[in-house]
Amino acid sequence: MKISSREALAAWLDALIADHILIAPRRVEDDLLYRPVRDSAEIVFEFERTALSPKSFFFPETEVILQVEKRGKEVEMGEPALAGEQVIFGLRPCDARGLEALDALLIDRPPADLYYARRRAATALIGLACPRLWDGCFCTSLGGGPDDAAGMDVMLYEGDTGYWVLDISERGRELVQGLEGEETEGEPPASDRSGERVAVRPPEEWRARFDDAYWQRLAERCLSCHACTYACPTCRCFDVRDETVAAGPGHIQIQRLRAWDSCLSPAYRRIAGGHNPRPDRAQRLRNRYYCKFCYSPLDFGAVACVGCGRCIDVCPAGVDIVEVLAGLAALE
Amino acid sequence: MSGEIEIEIQNGIRVRAQKLLSLGEVGCIIGYERGPRGQMRPMFVYDEAGVERLVWDRTCHHNLVVYVRDKVEAQGGGRAGGAPPPRVAIVARPCDVRALNVLIHEGQLAREQVFVLGIACPGMLDGDKVMAHCRRCKERVPVFYDALLGEPPAIEAEDDDWQDVAEIEALSAGERLAFWAQEFERCIRCYACRQACPGCYCFECLAEQVDPGWIGIAHRVPEKAFFHIMRAFHLAGRCVECHACEQACPMHIPLSLLNRKMAREVQELFGYTAGGDADVPPPLATFRRDEELPL
Repeated sequence: MKISSREALAAWLDALIADHILIAPRRVEDDLLYRPVRDSAEIVFEFERTALSPKSFFFPETEVILQVEKRGKEVEMGEPALAGEQVIFGLRPCDARGLEALDALLIDRPPADLYYARRRAATALIGLACPRLWDGCFCTSLGGGPDDAAGMDVMLYEGDTGYWVLDISERGRELVQGLEGEETEGEPPASDRSGERVAVRPPEEWRARFDDAYWQRLAERCLSCHACTYACPTCRCFDVRDETVAAGPGHIQIQRLRAWDSCLSPAYRRIAGGHNPRPDRAQRLRNRYYCKFCYSPLDFGAVACVGCGRCIDVCPAGVDIVEVLAGLAALE
Repeated sequence: MSGEIEIEIQNGIRVRAQKLLSLGEVGCIIGYERGPRGQMRPMFVYDEAGVERLVWDRTCHHNLVVYVRDKVEAQGGGRAGGAPPPRVAIVARPCDVRALNVLIHEGQLAREQVFVLGIACPGMLDGDKVMAHCRRCKERVPVFYDALLGEPPAIEAEDDDWQDVAEIEALSAGERLAFWAQEFERCIRCYACRQACPGCYCFECLAEQVDPGWIGIAHRVPEKAFFHIMRAFHLAGRCVECHACEQACPMHIPLSLLNRKMAREVQELFGYTAGGDADVPPPLATFRRDEELPL
C-alpha cells in the first residue's frame, strides 16, 4: 500500500480541482460542512463529523428538474445539465453507507431516480477513516465501522507517517495515479471500534409496537422542526412544484422544482380536501424511526440509518436516537 | 457561587413541584432534565416519582412556553362547566414569563391556566460567559409568578447601546444584503427557529401555505431570506429576546439581530418592551381612537 504525506495529498487534491468539482469538509462560520473548495488550503483534514451529511451533492436541497419556456407560440422544454464530475474528499464511512442506503431506495429498484442516479454516477468518493467513534456515533451498532471502506472509491487511513492509501474501485485506481507516496508493506492502522452500542430490534418487532404509548412519551419534547431529517444522510423526502420564474407579454418561464421536505412537518402528509392522516407530532416522529428501521428494511432490504449521530447534534430539543432505540429495545 | 445559586433554584423547583403534584394543583410540570449526553432538555413531569429528575442550571436555554398551550389543552383546556381550570406548571425565567405575557395578551392562554415557577435569573451561560442578551436584561425577577425560586440577584444590567444592530444599520443596503445572503446561504430551512419560538404559534405558517403560495418550496437564499424577514416582522413588538431561536438554529445564524432591529423600532415608536408589563397590551394588537404614530 502507498503512504502519502499531507503535502502530497494537498498537491494531488489541488490537481484534481482542475477538472473536477472538489467537495471537502470546510469551515463555514462556526460550522463544518461539505462544500466545494477551490484550494486544498480550505480543507479541514482533522474533524469529527460535519454538521450536515453530504447528501445534498446527490440529492440537492433544490433541484430544477424541468424548465419550460414559452415565447409566443414557441414552447421549449428541457432539463439543466450537470455541472461536471464531482470528487468528495474526506467522506466518513457512515456517509458512504448512507449513500448505499439511498441507492437501495432510489436506484436499485426500478424506476430509478434519474436525477439522483446521474449525480451518483458522476461522483467519486474518497474516504477518510475515523480513528474512533465520536460522541453520538453508533455506526458499529448498525453493521458499519469507523474504518469501514465499503462503498468508497479510495480510502485513506491516517497513520503516524502519513495517509495510507487504499484504492478500491477502478475509478479510485485512476484517481490515485497522480498521488505521490511511498510503497510500504503492512497494514493501515485499525480504528478503535469501542464506543456506544445500542441494540436495534428487527423490523417485525417494530411492527408489533406501533401503537405503544412509548411513542407519545418520546415525542413530548419534539418541536416538529425538520432539522433531524435535513441533517440525516438517508432522509430523502421531497416536494415537487412548478413555479413561474419570469413572465412578460408573450413570454412565460416555468421551472419544475423538487426540494427537500420532511415527514415531521404537519403539512407533509396533508392531502386534498385538508385531511391529515398524521396530524399528531408523535405520529410524525414515530414515522421517522419506522421509515428507517421498519419500512426500509422490509421494502428495500436495508436499515436506513447509519449511526452518524447528526440528528442528535442538531435536535434543538434533545431527542436522542440512541436513547430512542435503547428504549424500544427495553420494551416488552 | 454560580453553582450554589443553581442548586438553590433546582431544589426550589423540586420542592414546589412535589407539592403541586401531591396536592393535585397541577396536572403537569414543564421543566428541564439532564439528557443522556449531559445536556439540558425539556421534560414533563406528571407524578411525584418524576420530580427528582427535574434539574436547573444556567444552560437551560429552551423557552418552555412553546409547550404550554399543548399541555393545557391535554389537561382539558379548563373551560368546561365552570370548574376551576386544571393547570400546568412551568419553570420560567423572566424572558419566558414575558413570552407567557405576550400569549395571554393575545388571547392564547389565560393567566390562571399556568402556575409559574419563576426563576430569579442570574443570566444564562454560553461556556463560562454570561450571554450578551442576559447581560443587558433588566429583569432579574419575572413580571409575574406564583412562586419565586432563588434570591433576586443584585446584578447591574449593562446599558443596551444597540451596538450590534447599529453595526448592521451602518452598512449600505448592498452590504446588508450581502451579509444576510451569506448568513441565509447556510440556513437549511428546517424551521427550528420558528418551532422553538413561543411567539410563532400559527396553525399554518405563511411559509408553508400552499394557496396562496407566498413562498416557493426552494431552499434558496431568496426564499430563506423572505421567510426570516417575514418572521422578524411578525415578531415585531412580540419578540421577548429569549434567544430560543438562535439556540435552536443548527447552523448558528444570528437571527436575534433581525428581531432586535424590530424590537428597537417598537421601543422607539411606542416605548414598549414585549411582554415587559402584565397590564400593558402590545401596541400592535391594540388600537386607540386618538393615537398618532410618530412616523
